[in-house]
Amino acid sequence: MAEEKAAPKSAGVWTMIFTDVHFWVPAIVLLAGLVVLHWIR
Amino acid sequence: MISPSIESARLRKLQLVGILCGFGAGAWLGAAEAPTKLVKLGVSPLIVSLLMVLGVFLARWSLPALIRGTGQMRLDIRQAPHLIVWGILAGCLWAVANTLTIFAIRDIGLSIAFPLWNINSLLGIFWGYLLFNELRDAGKIRWLTVLGGALLMFAGATLLAFASSAQSPAEHPLRGILAALSAGVLWGTMYVPYRKAYLTGMNPLSFIAFFTIGELGMMLTLALAYGGGPDALAHQLDLAKPVLFWLMLGGFVWVIGDSFQQYAAKYIGISRGIPLSNTNQLWGLLWGILVFGELRGLSTSLYAQVIGGSLLMAAGAGAIALSSVTGKEHARWKQAADREGQRYKVDASYVEAGLSGSDANNSSDPTGQPAPQPSRTWLDYLLVLAATTIFVTLALLARAPNMALNWPALLALAAAMFIFLFACSIALWRTTRFN
Repeated sequence: MAEEKAAPKSAGVWTMIFTDVHFWVPAIVLLAGLVVLHWIR
Repeated sequence: MISPSIESARLRKLQLVGILCGFGAGAWLGAAEAPTKLVKLGVSPLIVSLLMVLGVFLARWSLPALIRGTGQMRLDIRQAPHLIVWGILAGCLWAVANTLTIFAIRDIGLSIAFPLWNINSLLGIFWGYLLFNELRDAGKIRWLTVLGGALLMFAGATLLAFASSAQSPAEHPLRGILAALSAGVLWGTMYVPYRKAYLTGMNPLSFIAFFTIGELGMMLTLALAYGGGPDALAHQLDLAKPVLFWLMLGGFVWVIGDSFQQYAAKYIGISRGIPLSNTNQLWGLLWGILVFGELRGLSTSLYAQVIGGSLLMAAGAGAIALSSVTGKEHARWKQAADREGQRYKVDASYVEAGLSGSDANNSSDPTGQPAPQPSRTWLDYLLVLAATTIFVTLALLARAPNMALNWPALLALAAAMFIFLFACSIALWRTTRFN
């Protein structure tokens, strides 16, 4: 039972992460920071 | 209708612990900035950042092992494995921001750069409100005290910057200002992963361990990419040997401050926790003036600006500290926490325990089995021993930087830091058992 419950959870977790605004806000800011760093170094 | 989440007496206790941790974070984070002065001694900014991160890495794997044991981390991963992604993301944000601050210090000086990157507190309030229901249903007075307090702190920081910039003329003002502002945006956004983790119930000591993986990975990538490859990096590290210990010690001190900052973010939210830990600027200034003899021989008006700026910052921090979270607002936090739990199918009792500062791993695991309580293992002792050995070895190899220091002031500030360390640790232990 426990394995059946765990399987869909792990399969769907990446979809959850990539559709989460809490992931994209820091990810985009990080990319922008890398661009600035590349420019000013 | 929103039901109250935890009883008000418990909520008050957690908030007091959070406020104390916010001030403790300020004292320790402010002291950690001192080693960046070594940049002027000819060490590349990237190497400074990398070495600080190495110190951070050592501290972040050994301190949690000492306090809770790594077994507790495994339990946290089982409950909320998705948060590893946010831990790594936050670590990457920190590494890029820290590197930017070192470029900013080089170009416009610490005194101007510091308040600029402290805009992170205003951004923290924005993200806290927008993404995690902070300050919702808080009432006008609390809004006014938090936002007004953060603005007062910003005004004080700016005044301090103008006062102390007399000693450090800018070499590349535009580039330095852009670097400092970008660091502020990155650090302000770094609290999004923090808050997400703590609303979900993760222990701060587990989260910071994942954080270091992103931090060290990103820093190594930056050092290799911009430092000219592995051979050039090895050569620069060799040149930096005499200051290795001091920079890694800076990283270690930073970790203690950041650990308190994490608990502050957990128990009073990022909208209040970040401004309080930003009192690190006052501590940084105290170190600069009292220990390193900065701002010596300036005019009375400049000293007045320094005192005025410090008082403004202290008043702002005081206002925020007094703006307690009401039951209604805490219920909105709980809504955000429940949303996280439902989205990622995290055990509700784990989320609930995390929010109330009790041992989240005493709750049952997702399979319904009671979670075992691991004790410290040989791995924990090995981690602590390895970190201690590395630091002691580096200390023996270190050479004291050729700087005039005011030792009585240094000892007094160090004593103040240790008082905060003990006060915060005892409060955390008594109220939450470091949960």
